[in-house]
Amino acid sequence: MSTATLKPADSPTPIPRAPMPPAFVEIDRLNFFYGDKQALFDITLGIPEKQVTALIGPSGCGKTTLLRCLNRMNDLVDVARIGSGEIRIDDINIYDPRVDVIELRKRVGMVFQKSNPFPKSIYENIAYGLRLHGIKQKSQLDEIVEKSLRGAALWDEVKDRLHDSGLGLSGGQQQRLCIARTIAVEPDVILMDEPCSALDPLATAKVEDLIQELKARFTIVIVTHNMQQAARVSDYTAFFYLGKLIEFQSTRDIFTNPKNPQTEAYVSGRFG
Amino acid sequence: MSESSYFPPRRSILRKPSWAARLESSFFVLLRVATYGVLLAAAAIFIDIGWKGGRVVFQAAPPFINVPFLTQAPETLNVFTLDGQTVKMGDRDFRAYKAANPEKLRDVHVSTYVYSAGGIFPNIVGTVLLVLGSMVIALALGVCSAVYLSEYAKDGPFIRLLRLSIANLAGVPSIVFGLFGFGLFVVAFDWNVSLIAGWFTLAFMVLPIIITASEEALRAVPKGLREGSLALGATKFQTIRTNVLPYALPGILTSSVLAIARVAGETAPIMFTAAYVVRDQMPWQVEQWTDFFFQGVMALPYHIYVVASKIPQNDYTSDVQYGTAFVFLFTVAAIALAAILLRARMRKKYRW
Amino acid sequence: MATDTAQAPSASHSVRKQLLGPHKFRLFGRNRDWWIKLFFEGNAAISIVVLLLIVFTLFREAAGFIPGNRQNLEVYRRAGLEYVDILRRQTEDYAALGRQLSATRLAWSEHLRAQGLPQAEITARLDAIDTLDTRLADAIGTHQEILSEMIDHASSVKERVKVGHDMAEVRQNLLSGIPGATPEHAAELQTQADAVVIEEVDYATEINVLTNRFPEIQAANRNLTGELGEIAAALPQADDRAIARQLSHLADALRDFRKSIPERESEFVRWRADRPVSFFESLNAFAFGRDWITASFWQDWYGVLPLFFGSVFISLISLAIAIPLGICAALYVNQVAPPGEQRLIKPYIEFISAIPSVVLGFFGIAVLGETLRQVSQVEWLSWIPGFPMQERLNAFTAAALLALMAIPTIFTLAEDALQNVPRALREASLALGATRMQTMLRITLPAALSGITAAVLLGFGRVIGETMVVLLCAGNRIAVPDFTAGLGVAFQPVHTMTGIVAQEMGEVVRGSLHYRALFMVGCLLFLLSLGINYGAQKIVRHYRLPQS
Repeated sequence: MSTATLKPADSPTPIPRAPMPPAFVEIDRLNFFYGDKQALFDITLGIPEKQVTALIGPSGCGKTTLLRCLNRMNDLVDVARIGSGEIRIDDINIYDPRVDVIELRKRVGMVFQKSNPFPKSIYENIAYGLRLHGIKQKSQLDEIVEKSLRGAALWDEVKDRLHDSGLGLSGGQQQRLCIARTIAVEPDVILMDEPCSALDPLATAKVEDLIQELKARFTIVIVTHNMQQAARVSDYTAFFYLGKLIEFQSTRDIFTNPKNPQTEAYVSGRFG
Repeated sequence: MSESSYFPPRRSILRKPSWAARLESSFFVLLRVATYGVLLAAAAIFIDIGWKGGRVVFQAAPPFINVPFLTQAPETLNVFTLDGQTVKMGDRDFRAYKAANPEKLRDVHVSTYVYSAGGIFPNIVGTVLLVLGSMVIALALGVCSAVYLSEYAKDGPFIRLLRLSIANLAGVPSIVFGLFGFGLFVVAFDWNVSLIAGWFTLAFMVLPIIITASEEALRAVPKGLREGSLALGATKFQTIRTNVLPYALPGILTSSVLAIARVAGETAPIMFTAAYVVRDQMPWQVEQWTDFFFQGVMALPYHIYVVASKIPQNDYTSDVQYGTAFVFLFTVAAIALAAILLRARMRKKYRW
Repeated sequence: MATDTAQAPSASHSVRKQLLGPHKFRLFGRNRDWWIKLFFEGNAAISIVVLLLIVFTLFREAAGFIPGNRQNLEVYRRAGLEYVDILRRQTEDYAALGRQLSATRLAWSEHLRAQGLPQAEITARLDAIDTLDTRLADAIGTHQEILSEMIDHASSVKERVKVGHDMAEVRQNLLSGIPGATPEHAAELQTQADAVVIEEVDYATEINVLTNRFPEIQAANRNLTGELGEIAAALPQADDRAIARQLSHLADALRDFRKSIPERESEFVRWRADRPVSFFESLNAFAFGRDWITASFWQDWYGVLPLFFGSVFISLISLAIAIPLGICAALYVNQVAPPGEQRLIKPYIEFISAIPSVVLGFFGIAVLGETLRQVSQVEWLSWIPGFPMQERLNAFTAAALLALMAIPTIFTLAEDALQNVPRALREASLALGATRMQTMLRITLPAALSGITAAVLLGFGRVIGETMVVLLCAGNRIAVPDFTAGLGVAFQPVHTMTGIVAQEMGEVVRGSLHYRALFMVGCLLFLLSLGINYGAQKIVRHYRLPQS
C-alpha cells in the first residue's frame, strides 16, 4: 500500500494540493546500505530552493541517514555505501568520483543534534571555517564573525565576550553558535539534524525563529522528531517510514490533507 | 504461604554479633594487611635509599647540596692511613698530593676503590641525552601511528595485524630489545655502541606504550568536533591538525611522561647498545658534530649496576652506591609522580 | 523573492565550478589527503616492521648456532673427548661412592661421640671402615692415571683441530682480499695465504691412541670389580639402626657400581668416532642440555635447561608472593576501602611500578639479601626449610623483589577486571541477603576471573623477562635447582636466561658460537613472551563479560 503513494501525481484527489516547486537538490531513486542492511529504499525527492524542508518519521526510519547522504558525512562510516541512485545538486551527482567532497561540504553545511562548538573562543569557532576557506585578514574576519553572529541572532548576547570559550554558552546559545559557524561560510544548503532535541522550549523557539529568518538566504533541510516543530518551521515535509519515503507534500497538505493513511496516522499521533 | 516454610525462623533485622560478621571483618582485615604490607615494602625501599642516599646528596652546611657529587666525573678512591688518621682522597687529588709529598707516602699502604670518589655528572648527562633522543623518535613515530589508528584505520586484516604487533611488542622483555638493538644497530648497521643505537632501541621499546596512550587520548576527543569541522568543509587532515590533535595533546604528553620514566629507568636495553662503564670525554667533546651521535655515553642506571655488582660493599663504596641510587630513583620517581598527578588532573579537566 | 531568483544562477554556477574544480594538488594521480593518509599508515606500519626486525635480527644471529654447535659436538666426538668422558664419568661416579663412605664414617663417629666414648675408643672402632676408605681410594688409582693421560691426549688433539680451523680462517681472509686488489698486492696476499700451514688432523690415528687403552681399562676394571666385592664384603656391622641403614645403603651402592662395570665397558665398545652428529642432536644439546659451560679447556656446553629452570623457578616463587598480595590489594581497594583511601592507594601502587629495576636489584644486594640471611639465622626460625640460608643472594631474594615489580601489574589489571563486573550482579547478590564477603568471593571474583587470569599471565611475562634484579640478586649459579631439598630449594642460588644474556653478551666475541648461543636464549625468551602475551589476550577476548 505504501508503494502506491510513491508517485504523488498519480493518485487523483478531490482537494487541490499546492504544486511542488522545482528542486534544488534532487534525490533520484537512492538506495543506501549499511553493510548488508538496506537503510533507504528507492528514495526520490526534490528539495526546493530557499525553503525549509522537514524530514519526519519515527526513529530509525532513515531520515538522518538521508540527511547525512546530502553532504556525504556518511563517507565517514566504514560500512556505509550507496547501492544505486543519485543525489544531484545543480545537475551534478555528488557521488560522482570527480566531485571534491571538501567543496561539497563547504556548499552543504550541517548543524548537529548535539551542539558541538569547538573548545575555542566564540570568535575562533566562527573564524575557523573562514580560515579554512582562505580568509585570513583580521578586518574581514571581524566583519564576517559579526555578520554571522547577528545572522544567528546571537550577537547581542555574546558581543562582549567574543573571546570567551564557546563551551561556556548555554545549550541554546551553543546551538546558535554552531548555526552561526555554518552560515559564516555561506553554504547553499544547511542540513539540520534535530537541532532542538537537546534544548528547552525557550531556546527551541529562538532557534525556530532563526530558521525562519535563514530561509531567505539558504536552502534548509531539517530532520525533526517533533511534528509541531515541522509544522511551525517548514514549508515542505517528507514523511519516512522504515527507510521508505511515504509522502512528500507541502507542509500544510501533509498535516491537513495527507494522501496516505500511514501519514495521517503518524501526523495525528496514532503511531510513531 | 500459611504453612511454615523451609526457611529458618525470621530474625530481627537489627544488627547482632554473628559468626558470619566476624568472619567477614577478619577477612577485610586480612585484605587490608596484605595491601598495607605491599605499601610498606615499597616504602622501606624509598626510606632506605632516601635516608642513606640523602646523606650523600644533601649536607647540613650551605649550599645544602653536595655539589661536587652532581658536577664531577667518577674517580677512583684512595684510602690510606697517615699519621694515625684515615685519609680518603680522589684520584686526581691523590696524584697531586703524591707528587707534592713523595716521601710521605713511601711505605703507606693505599687501598683503592674504583668509581668511589668524584661524582656522577657524566652519567646524569648521558641519561638525559638518551631520554631526550629516544622520546623524540618514539613520540614522532608513536603519535603518527596513533593518528592513523584512531582517525584513518578501517577494520581489516592490516589493522588486526597492526594491533597484534603493538600488543605483542609491549610484552617483549627489555633485554630482548637490548639484544635486538645490539644485533641490528650495533652489529649489522655498524653504529657501534652509540647514542643513536641506544635511542632507537629505547624508542622501539616504548613505542607500544606511546601508541596505546596516544590513541586513547585521540579517541577521547568527541566525534562531534570532527564532524563539525568536516561539515564546514575542512579536509580530514585540517580537521586532525586543528580540531583533534590540539585537544588530545595534553593527554598524549601526560602519558608520555610515564614512558619517559620507563626509558630513563631501563638498564638492560642500553647495556650493549649505548652505555659505557667509563668514558673520559663529555658527550659534547667531539671532533665532528656527526661523532656526537656515534659515541657511547655513561648512564645512571648502568652506573648503578656497575657499582652494585663490580665493586665490594663497604663503607668507602656505599656513598657512591647510595648517592647514585638516590639521584636515579628520585628523579625517575619524580617523573612518574608528575605523570600520575597530571593525569588525575587531566581526567577532571577534560571531561567532555 | 525577486532578488533570490536573480542570484540563483550565479550561485549554481559557483557550485558547479567548485564541485568539479580541478584539485590543487596531485602526485602520481593521488590527491593530498591520500598522501597524508599514506604517511600516517607508514608510521603505523613501523610497529609491524619493528616486530619483524626483532624476529629477523634474533633469528639471523641465532641461526648459525645449530650448525656451529653441531661442529662443536662433532669435534668433541671425533677428537675422542666423548670417549674419554665415558671413563671420566666412571671415575666421577666412583668418587661419589667415596663421599658416601666418608659421610657414613662421619655419622658413625658422631654417633659414638654422642655415646660418650673416648677418642681412642672411637678411632679403634672405626679402624675397619678407615681401612676400607683407603682401599676404596686406591682401587681407582689405575683408572685415574689412564684418564689423565687420555685427557691430555684428547685435549691436545682438540687444540690442534682448533688451530687448524683458525688457520683455515686466516687463509680464507687473505684469499678473500685478492679480488679487487692490485696485482702486486694480490700476489703478496697469495704468497701469504700459501704460507699459512693448515694441519689436517688425522682423527683415525689419534682415536686409535685412545681406543688402544681399552684393554688397560678392562684390566683395571677386573681389578676394581674384585676390590669392590671385597670391600662390600668387609663392611663392618653397626649396632645402631640408623648407622646400619647407612652401611647397607653403602653396600647397595657398591654392588650397583660393580654391576654397572660391564655396561660401562660395552659403552666403550659401542662408541664410534665417525657417528655423525645430527641436526636434532645439536638442537637437543641446547634445549635439553643440563650444562652451560663456556670458555672451558675441555668442552663447551650450551644447555639452556638450568637457565630456563632458573627463570621459571624464580618467576613461580615471585608469583606465589605477588598473586595473593596483588589480588588481595585489588579486592581491598575496589571493594572495601573508602574512596579517600582508594584515591591514595591506587596511584601509590602504580607509583611502585616506576621504581627502576636496577634500583631494586641494588636494594637486594645492599639490604634485602643480608637482612634475609640474618633473619634465617634466628634460632627459632630454623624449622623453615632452607634456613639458615647458605647464600644471601638466591632465588628467593630475587623473587621477593620481582614480586614487588609484578604486584602493580597484577593489581592494576585485576582492579580493572573487578571494576568491570557489572554493578547489577553485585547488587543482585547483596539484595538476596549475601554478606559483602560472600558477594566478593562468590560473585565478583568469579566474574572477574578471566581478567585476573590475564593479569597474572601478564605479571608472569613481566617477571620472566626482567633482567637487572635477577642479574644482581639471584646468585648466578648455573645449575638446575636441586628439588630434592624440598621447599628449601627456594634458597638456592640460580641463574636465569635474562641474566646470562646480560652478563655474558658484553664479553663474547661477535659471531662466535657462544655469541650465537646467547641469541638462541634471546629467541627463546622472545617466543616465550609472545606466547604469554598472546595467551593473555586470548583469555581476555574469549571470556569477556557481555558489557551492558
